[in-house]
Amino acid sequence: MHAVLKIDGISKAYGSIQALKNVSLEIPKGSVFGILGPNGSGKTTLMSIVLDILKADSGSYSWFNEPNHPAERKKIGTLLETPNFYHYLSAVDNLNITHAISGRGSAAAIDEVLEIVKLTERKKSKFSAYSLGMKQRLAIGAALLGNPEILLLDEPTNGLDPVGIAEIRELIIRLAQKGITIIIASHLLDEIEKICSHVAILKKGHLLTTGTVDEVLSNEDIIELSAANLSGLKKCIQDLGGFSSIKALENRIQVFYPFGTANMEALNQHCFNNGITLNLLLHKKKSLETKFFELTND
Amino acid sequence: MTDLLKIEWLKIKKYPAFWWMLGIVTLTYPGINLMFFNVYDNITKGKEMANNLAKMLLGNPFAFPETFHTVAYFSSFFVLLPAILVIMLITNEYQYRTHRQNIIDGWSRYQFIGSKLIDVAIISFIVTLVFIAVAVGFGIYADQLSWNRWAEQLQYIPLFFLQTFAQLSIAFLLGYLVKKAFIALGIFLFYYLIIENILVGLLKLKQIPIGRFLPFEMSDGILVAPAFVGKFGDKAKEGYELALTLVYQQVLGTIILTALIWFICFKVHQRKNLA
Repeated sequence: MHAVLKIDGISKAYGSIQALKNVSLEIPKGSVFGILGPNGSGKTTLMSIVLDILKADSGSYSWFNEPNHPAERKKIGTLLETPNFYHYLSAVDNLNITHAISGRGSAAAIDEVLEIVKLTERKKSKFSAYSLGMKQRLAIGAALLGNPEILLLDEPTNGLDPVGIAEIRELIIRLAQKGITIIIASHLLDEIEKICSHVAILKKGHLLTTGTVDEVLSNEDIIELSAANLSGLKKCIQDLGGFSSIKALENRIQVFYPFGTANMEALNQHCFNNGITLNLLLHKKKSLETKFFELTND
Repeated sequence: MTDLLKIEWLKIKKYPAFWWMLGIVTLTYPGINLMFFNVYDNITKGKEMANNLAKMLLGNPFAFPETFHTVAYFSSFFVLLPAILVIMLITNEYQYRTHRQNIIDGWSRYQFIGSKLIDVAIISFIVTLVFIAVAVGFGIYADQLSWNRWAEQLQYIPLFFLQTFAQLSIAFLLGYLVKKAFIALGIFLFYYLIIENILVGLLKLKQIPIGRFLPFEMSDGILVAPAFVGKFGDKAKEGYELALTLVYQQVLGTIILTALIWFICFKVHQRKNLA
């Protein structure tokens, strides 16, 4: 799969604060790529650098395997940090400027995106008269204008109500199905897990991990078991061996095995042979949230 | 170039401050000149010997061809009005963070500053059009007998444009560097109205002949006072003639300073983080 964006060894400091440290990653064409990290991890700095808003101290990046040129950005629909529009202009006038600069869309396309983000009725109102949620929706509309090849969305659901959040999630899924590459930074890990095919996790400017969601989450097998005799069950599992750790919970135990080594049938058989009857046997997938906290907690 | 012009027009055409500025300029330029014209008219319209002498001495500074010179000089006092608009146009980009969005949407950093240069040029051009209209209006009204001399001093049109563009470029530089509209406006007014005048006075007092190279003095020297000013005695005549001989140097200096201002803006913008 071709990479639409290659980032190679980017570092950036603000005075004594190192915002990014030698970050390298590739974003495959057609992926929905989540960039995750706690506040101050460098997500927005990284996005700003690849959009030429900030200058990197070292390292490089390239869009579409081409030398950096402003024309490449015209193919990218972007919402970075906040909705940035002329306050005295209406939604239509602002999108006319987006269209004129980027070359994306047309008068008909402007009406189309305003319909998608549900601003048709207020399309002639001044931006300054919009609520926070409406401003955010206009920014998403601007990013969608003219069906860009790539969407880059930084916290796209900021300021939206629950219905708005669900609508944007559905929209992103629909766009991803059309083959548009979507790069998204968000704190809403549940949302990211639902829509992303790939993730990168940043912490204090370091890239902790990157890959497909399955690769990132599945670095171990988690088996959850329960029986009437929990202490007997635990001893039985310990006797069998092969695991990396065991965690006792209130009414069940979790056993962690290296990725791909857990054999549920053998476990069940072993317990049964040792007089333990299981009332729960479950192969659990680690949630992105769990993985995120594991990686980012000191 | 035309794309940038078109986009800047999209930004400006619905900006209320632009139309307010245009309205105020359209009123003040004829207003200030009308005030001086009335003074002139009052002095010269009587039948007394003194009135006739004044008429002979002053000529008619509002008739063709002098009108271009006179109106340019008096109108140039009001560069403050378009300067406010220029400062607003650049500081708005910071306030709305559209200086980032324009780049995100696909402009290069050169194009962004280029678009602002176009803004300053458009405003200078519009102000110059108002000046031309006022000068021609006075020329037609003041003296019908000199209509045939309308083309003799047209050089004051490009000179007025250059002075306006140069002084608005200084206003732009301040807005660009300071980023906050009110602070930039405050600095501009304080320097334009007070600091530079004090410096000019001090330099004159100490007989250091560099006052005319100060930023606003440089372009002020392009439009010397109207010709009648040189008719009030030998000293005035000498001063007026000296000022006329220095116009070429002032034009050259103004062009260099203005080019330097834009060079700085282009270079700084190319390298800086757009926070």
